[in-house]
Amino acid sequence: MGIAAALAVLAALLGGAALTHMVERAFVRAGREPGPAQGADLRHALELPNADRLLLPAGPVVALAGVALAMVVLPLGPGLVGRDLGLGLFYVIVVVDFVVLGLALAGWGANTPEGVEACYRIIAQLVAYVVPLGLAYVGVIMMARSLSTVAVVDAQRGLWFVVLQPLGFLLYVATGLMQSYRAPFLEPFAASLGGGVLGVAGGWSALVWRVSLTGVLLVVAAVGAVLYLGGPSGPWLPGWAWMLAKTYGLMALMLGLGRLVRPLSTAEMLALSWKVLIPLGLVNVLLVGGLILLGVGSGA
Amino acid sequence: MMAAFELLAFTTCSFVAVAGALGMATTMSMFRSGIFLMASFIGVAGLFILLSADLIGLLQVMMYVGGFLVMILFMVLVMHDPGGAMMAGMDLSPLERWFSKGLTPRGAADAGQGGHGHCEGHRDDGNRHDGHAIAHGEGRHGHTQDHSGGAMPHGASDGHADHGYAHAEQGHGHGGMDTSMVTPVRPLAAWLAVAAGTVLVGMLVLRPAWPVSDAVPDPDSARRVGHLLMDKYMVAFEGAGFLILIGIFGAVLLARPSAHPDDASRAARVALDAKPEAVRNDRLAPLTGSGGAAVEPGQHGGNHAHEGQLR
Repeated sequence: MGIAAALAVLAALLGGAALTHMVERAFVRAGREPGPAQGADLRHALELPNADRLLLPAGPVVALAGVALAMVVLPLGPGLVGRDLGLGLFYVIVVVDFVVLGLALAGWGANTPEGVEACYRIIAQLVAYVVPLGLAYVGVIMMARSLSTVAVVDAQRGLWFVVLQPLGFLLYVATGLMQSYRAPFLEPFAASLGGGVLGVAGGWSALVWRVSLTGVLLVVAAVGAVLYLGGPSGPWLPGWAWMLAKTYGLMALMLGLGRLVRPLSTAEMLALSWKVLIPLGLVNVLLVGGLILLGVGSGA
Repeated sequence: MMAAFELLAFTTCSFVAVAGALGMATTMSMFRSGIFLMASFIGVAGLFILLSADLIGLLQVMMYVGGFLVMILFMVLVMHDPGGAMMAGMDLSPLERWFSKGLTPRGAADAGQGGHGHCEGHRDDGNRHDGHAIAHGEGRHGHTQDHSGGAMPHGASDGHADHGYAHAEQGHGHGGMDTSMVTPVRPLAAWLAVAAGTVLVGMLVLRPAWPVSDAVPDPDSARRVGHLLMDKYMVAFEGAGFLILIGIFGAVLLARPSAHPDDASRAARVALDAKPEAVRNDRLAPLTGSGGAAVEPGQHGGNHAHEGQLR
């Protein structure tokens, strides 16, 4: 039972990552920075003479483990969830941090100027997104009165939270792009760094990075669909079809919106996060608290 | 089945916790040291989860992964040799060598592939030379090595450092090598650690009775903890938050440009509100060996090539 569920989660991750990759290619054009969607040499391993030969290969493995662990609590359909943890959403926030850890390990371990710079930028990006991301979750958790992903989906049977908390949804779109290193926030993978961590990966590690980095976008979009778009619930179609449509719809929306602005530097992103997004998140929490006091969204 | 799984999980988590702590204390790379400490705490978090304290376990993982990455960043800023490239070429005890495996000592890189093979060969032959191991020759090699060899719990005095490294270091002339890892206090510290560990384990083993409770832990512990924090312990909780807020205010206040002119040498370039310069544009010599992964900035060709490889 447990092993079958684990295999199913892995299969969902691999299939979802492949689909995500195709969606993402549609948004990469010539002259735009591809960020984590750039091409990588999958055939040849790299010779890095100064590399830390323990940390460099540990990076992609740690990142992939984080993404796979995050997939466990995502409800892909009614009853189609690896494990409905009581702390589900908090668990997702925690285990996705392992992707940051993996990127930092590989960036430092590569021991090239670009890799180490990418390591610094990755950690700065973590500092930028983690607080507003938490605030974007909090509004939903307050209304659903639970951290479990299944309970959050159940709480949106009447009305999606995107209608009740549009501010929180916008906040999630922005911080989700930061968390997945996509368009305006792709500084750690910028072409000026030679692709950052991806530029120093080759062979199997490039492949594992591809799966982890598309996987983190998949997880961000799927969690967004669960938090704000009602997850797998919907009329006529089966649950998994709704979940699929919502996840990839939200992913396309995020990637498209992200391409509308020019890429931000890490310093600009930190300023945006701490001067705009965190105050917005606090306002959102206040508004949601007011709505709950008025009785909206609790009985539905 | 369940008991076997529990035993396996306990063994894994406690191994990670202990090995991480050991690696933290013995590796030559400060960055690795931080990572090993993080691994140790994550192992402890696994033990928490095994005890059904999942909230504490997850909190621990979140605090240590995020917090330690930032802490490591600050440590890298101020450390002399954060990657351990200098110290990895020194004479190491077996434990230290094990946890420093894979570090490339400075100078070995220039020798390229041949240099690697050379070093490996020397590393594996395991013969014990005394003396002339460190190239900087302060006339104290024999002493330090004997002490450290006797001190490490795994015994085996070995004053053998890799000859290849010694040659290379000589060529580069690292006279001022950081000798903090070969300080004479180290044997004392190692024995002290062993003694403290023995006392702690002894106290655990000799403790007369372990009370065993059948009570099932609250599955919804997050709600309980939240109510306690916002209800009974609200003043302490909000007070801690207020303290952190004041700390942030203080940091911002200190970082503000002051009314008095700064010493010109202390002007921080990192505080400039400009886009950082691309590393590509620096005037360093190009890296050797990174040709295979070069990703073309013009993305069309790259994309095609990449898609071809995926199939």
